[in-house]
Amino acid sequence: MLGRVIGTFLPRLLPATHSTLATYPPHASALLRPLHTSHSRCLKEIVVEEQEGGDTVVKGQYLPSPNAHLLVKPDGEAGKACPLCALDLDVKHTDVLILSQFMRSDGSVLPRRVTGLCSKQQRRITWLVIMAQKAGLMPNLAPATSKRDPSRRYGSKKFNRYFDENTLPK
Amino acid sequence: MSAARRVQQWATFGRMWYLYDGKWQNPLESADKIVPYLDGSHKPIFHPLNDSGDHVVVINSRDIALPGDEWEKRVYFHHTGYAGGATWTLAWQLHEADPTMIIRKTVYNKLSKNLLRRGRLARLHIFPDDKVPDSILKNVSAQMRQLRPVPRRLDHYPQEELENFPKIFDWPKDHVIN
Ligand SMILES: [Zn+2]
Repeated sequence: MLGRVIGTFLPRLLPATHSTLATYPPHASALLRPLHTSHSRCLKEIVVEEQEGGDTVVKGQYLPSPNAHLLVKPDGEAGKACPLCALDLDVKHTDVLILSQFMRSDGSVLPRRVTGLCSKQQRRITWLVIMAQKAGLMPNLAPATSKRDPSRRYGSKKFNRYFDENTLPK
Repeated sequence: MSAARRVQQWATFGRMWYLYDGKWQNPLESADKIVPYLDGSHKPIFHPLNDSGDHVVVINSRDIALPGDEWEKRVYFHHTGYAGGATWTLAWQLHEADPTMIIRKTVYNKLSKNLLRRGRLARLHIFPDDKVPDSILKNVSAQMRQLRPVPRRLDHYPQEELENFPKIFDWPKDHVIN
């Protein structure tokens, strides 16, 4: 039961949570289950256990993002714009290392609430992701039922194709 | 004439064999590049009566790429000559039946329309993959540059490069990664 819940709502740092949970004996799952149901969205934060004079304290704690040190932050006036406008990048549909940052593992695009992009850039990124998916450049970011391998797709979809970014709607 | 000049003369009129990798290349753009090599017009000694065309070996023709929805929109017409003998074949259907046909037809259509066309096309050797017979590969002495970069798939990057690539934005504090 607990394992299924963890699999559905991955926390920010999955390995740490796993190691924490691995220390519990099997019968402790009965103790842990109310903890997860008490959080409305289950595992957003890591659960830590501390011993204080015989008392057991279990508390949730936000962890720092693993990407914090990799963040490209333009300073000055440019820093006030949305992340992509500030960097002034000409993103193509073949730039999968950039596009994959705006995506979930099932291939869908993160909402503006998360990405922080302006509506123009969000719409452009959404189109570029569609292009990259049709070109078969991100087969590992796809629904679980996907065939993954682009060469096994049906009909004309199995052949290589590329796109022209100038055809994107303005 | 010195020996060096004599050899230079032979080399000038000798036939070259070029290798061209068709992976992720547009066959129409590629044909524009290949045709001058087949009819010899890329050479300064070119003359219409001068048989100076080179050989071109195209590999990986199965992995050519078409832009947008051209696999579904490009149509190849054929007529048997009999009544009702017209057929229209979509590009992806033709490519599925014979992965060398699209390049061969495109180059054939771009060669100049005269009696030399068949002979020039015979100097084009197309292979669906990278398996080329040694009898052909032993002649190859040069390579033609590809026209567009081959895109790299996300699952072909090493894990270390994926993790250490600069990030555009950071998730909100309460974001659940999935
Ligand atoms: Zn913006």
